[in-house]
Amino acid sequence: MQQAFASKPIEDSVAKVNDEVAVGEDIEFQRKWWKFEKGVWILFTLILLLDLAGVFGRGWLSKQEKAAQDGSIDVKYERIERTSTPSIMTINFGDSAIRDGQVKLYVSESLVKELAAQRVVPAPQTAIVGQGGLTYLFPASGTPASVEFALEPTGPGLRHFLIRVPGSQAVQADVLVMP
Amino acid sequence: MYTIVHAILGYFFLLLTVRVLSRRPGAQLTLFEFVIVFLIGGVIILSTVGNDRSITNCATAIIAVGLMHRFVTWLKSKSPRLGRIIDGTPLVLLKNGEYQLEVMRGMRIDPEDIMAAGRTKGVESVFDIKYAILERNGSISIIQAER
Repeated sequence: MQQAFASKPIEDSVAKVNDEVAVGEDIEFQRKWWKFEKGVWILFTLILLLDLAGVFGRGWLSKQEKAAQDGSIDVKYERIERTSTPSIMTINFGDSAIRDGQVKLYVSESLVKELAAQRVVPAPQTAIVGQGGLTYLFPASGTPASVEFALEPTGPGLRHFLIRVPGSQAVQADVLVMP
Repeated sequence: MYTIVHAILGYFFLLLTVRVLSRRPGAQLTLFEFVIVFLIGGVIILSTVGNDRSITNCATAIIAVGLMHRFVTWLKSKSPRLGRIIDGTPLVLLKNGEYQLEVMRGMRIDPEDIMAAGRTKGVESVFDIKYAILERNGSISIIQAER
């Protein structure tokens, strides 16, 4: 025997306008929605303005410069980075950093792993692993001299890095990586 | 893992953005709206799949979005309130010879839009329209006045 389809008697449940047209209008809800809509657009505008200022990275507010107290290095970096987005960290060396025609630079492992340094320009002569980081050796003739790290953070979060010329003051800072 | 999370977040963010864009008279997309749809779609896909452009990753993203859509549809059927939030409610634009100005201003609809909908029903004058209703899909329904 064939099974009957489930059924239900119809109901006049849709609200009527002027008691004649079933529309289902809910003007009170709509008024609330317009207020919410206005709030969302204000929020969206605010997000864009903050983004233009660099609060979410890639703007003038995100740029930062820190120097070692003894003047051995000066680091220009972005304190707010974005996941998988390239950026450049520039390290300028002071006179005291260059010894015997070369400069050594220690960077913490977080710079290589979490902030994902893709390449170093110029290429270092040697790179020695140890002490929780890497020590690069660059030939140098005198100041001004600088090295650039191309970064591309792998994931969001707060990252900490430390950079120093061995035997000199360190520069350390936090970088917030946005999703 | 990240693709699924990104796809779900992207789905809800897109839902919110499209919802607050407000309904437009006429159920068909104009060229202007095609720009919005393609641009938003193109941008959201970048963060959804990231650098992993494998078929596996793309298929995962599509399945995640499909399941979210089905889940939201199910929720809508269970909760009329959620249905109102996601789809809105029909709104009366013209009632017994009077424009409902609060609704028209709120939905950015002009008398010309109502008359355009009326013409598709063979209405020659706005006086022949008894009710004009902005439907949830953005079309305008016309109920003609009896002569």
